[in-house]
Amino acid sequence: MLRFFKKKQKEEDKKEKVIVLGIDGVPCTLLNRFIEEGIMPNLAGLAKKGTLTDMTASIPEVSSTSWSTFMTGVNPGRHGIYGFTELQKGSYKWKFPNSSDIRSETLWDIAGRNNRKNIVLNVPSTYPAKPLSGILTAGFVALDLKKATYPESAYEYLKSIGYRMDVDTRKAQESTTALADDIEKAFEIRKKAILNFLDNNEWELFIGVITESDRLHHYLWVALEDEKHPQHDFFFDFYRKLDSFIGEMYDRAGDDIPFIILSDHGFTTIKKEVYLNAWLQERGYLKFRKEKPESMEDMHEESRVFVLDPARFYIHKKGKYPNGCVEERDYESLRQKIKEEILSLVVDGEKVIKTVMFKEELYSGDLYDDAPDIVALSFEGYDLKGSINKTQIAGKGFLTGGHTRGNAVFYINREINRKDINIMDVGPTIISLLGIDWDHFDGKSLL
Amino acid sequence: MAQDEREELSALSLEEKIEHSKKIIREAIEKFGTEKLAIAWTGGKDSTTMVWLFRETCRELGVKMPGCMFIDEGYVFEEIWDIFNRLKKEWDLDVTIAKNTDVSDKAKNVGDMIKVSSLNERNREEIAKLEYGEEEFPFEPESFVGNHLMKTVAMNVFMEDNEIKALSTAIRWDEQEARIEEDFFSPRENPPHTRIQPILHFKERDIWDFIFKYKIPFCSLYKEGYRSLGAKGSTVKMSDIPAWEQDLENTYEREGRGQSKEEVMGKLRDLGYM
Repeated sequence: MLRFFKKKQKEEDKKEKVIVLGIDGVPCTLLNRFIEEGIMPNLAGLAKKGTLTDMTASIPEVSSTSWSTFMTGVNPGRHGIYGFTELQKGSYKWKFPNSSDIRSETLWDIAGRNNRKNIVLNVPSTYPAKPLSGILTAGFVALDLKKATYPESAYEYLKSIGYRMDVDTRKAQESTTALADDIEKAFEIRKKAILNFLDNNEWELFIGVITESDRLHHYLWVALEDEKHPQHDFFFDFYRKLDSFIGEMYDRAGDDIPFIILSDHGFTTIKKEVYLNAWLQERGYLKFRKEKPESMEDMHEESRVFVLDPARFYIHKKGKYPNGCVEERDYESLRQKIKEEILSLVVDGEKVIKTVMFKEELYSGDLYDDAPDIVALSFEGYDLKGSINKTQIAGKGFLTGGHTRGNAVFYINREINRKDINIMDVGPTIISLLGIDWDHFDGKSLL
Repeated sequence: MAQDEREELSALSLEEKIEHSKKIIREAIEKFGTEKLAIAWTGGKDSTTMVWLFRETCRELGVKMPGCMFIDEGYVFEEIWDIFNRLKKEWDLDVTIAKNTDVSDKAKNVGDMIKVSSLNERNREEIAKLEYGEEEFPFEPESFVGNHLMKTVAMNVFMEDNEIKALSTAIRWDEQEARIEEDFFSPRENPPHTRIQPILHFKERDIWDFIFKYKIPFCSLYKEGYRSLGAKGSTVKMSDIPAWEQDLENTYEREGRGQSKEEVMGKLRDLGYM
């Protein structure tokens, strides 16, 4: 009897663990290709042991929204992060949402109050760091390492190793080599920090995110296919190193611990950037008071619609905005009109917009009112932008790679049978793997 | 450089730090002479400290003071020009103003659009290197292309024209995390030269202690509360009390300078947002 009791006690003490490796902006098809080409042998081995599949990202498909959806398991209507930019309530001033604007519980909040320890490294949109049961150092857009890190001892360690919060993308102005060197440096220090925390700290939930992949893709995507590009080899080496790192992490964990890899969106070659505010101006929906507007503060009060990055359309409604002019009774017909017109937008002889969705089709929850009224999704290669200082509808920028909503990646060293996986499903999967009962998610566990 | 060495140097007394900087400057002059070496002076507190250290060291060595390079990126504070003119005269500095006039001549005001095709070959090549495909770009300090042409290209052209082999700059380890890997001598490409960074080990507090101890004139904006000076239009003050009276140890020096809101915008722009 006593023995039985002891055994039971021991089982209760043994808490389930989960490891998550985030790889920002890595498309599933690219990993499959590198597996086939023998560039990623470790991942090839893992794929045989479990499920490697594509996944859809959030809408819009930007890192802040996608990672916030991952870390809460709920839709933006509940967590509140619709993009990197918002307008301050009652004004047209920029606001940049940060961790305090995430209004739902995070996975580590849930795990923490269930007596699990968490280590959360470099997840975007977690700056400034909030106290938690465990350790956190924030990812993009983190500005100051001290404010980015909890607790102090973790900050001291990160400082001592010369930890980097991000790649210095301004190096791109010097040369692609300088940028590649900096990506490499940031990647090395990121891996070092991840392995250190993995080895030397207590945790049940471990999340580490690599963001260098996203920077590599934005600036050097063109180097992937162009064999003569000076950074062609660098691109491949980056993935070889990523594969070794996946191997190193997996060796430490073993088959018993659930091991998840995910990205927050896919990537593709940018054919053209498409400037939706320029399109709205051309159609007479939007006007600025200055010839060279500097911010939304320069928007004319007669404007009926405006766009925030990447393709969030807001109806300039009376009562909602200080100078709003669209009456409630005109709201619906205006949305329909915008939808029809934008669907027929053609650039270089090709249709740009694949789908247009209204807010009620996408979002629900306490923060529904803040949601964009319309969101457009483009055909691959057309990078939709909310720039306000563009005079032409389409053009080329300095980035060669852009996000895709589809073709994000999900891996777990378990068999799963679900198709149509969305990033919102990953959080519920993790919480269920930790053995915690919690069913207030919008996503569904994949197990 | 190893972390413990960095910490040891950062913990030295002010006088010891000054001595170490002078040692670096002496080594630089021995290696590069004073003709092919230039001092990057911005009129800010750090580079003015560095200029003073160069003057002292040159006086001790009995050699000519190297020339200074001042980058006019088109958005210089009037108060910076004041200190520039004053010290140029009082310290008898040989200063060259590096300015990409081919670009700045095309814009009347900050924010004006400049046509790529209106620029000279060098500037067009630089834009092509950035893989920037637009026909025009805004003349503003935070713009990717504008920043590159008005700062980096202006500096590179100055170095090429004067065959500069070594450029001394006043960056400090405690300013921002990306600088932690920097060393006192650091080789650079494009154009090939050596960066000399003689005050890396100074902390923000050391700079102010130094300025008051040696009665170094400084830009009036610091008294108004600015902690760190960048381009006009992208630099704001975070407090109304003089920089040296602020809580230097627990607040962020570059907060008012493209940091916080401005820095977030810069980072987002670099990834194609905004």
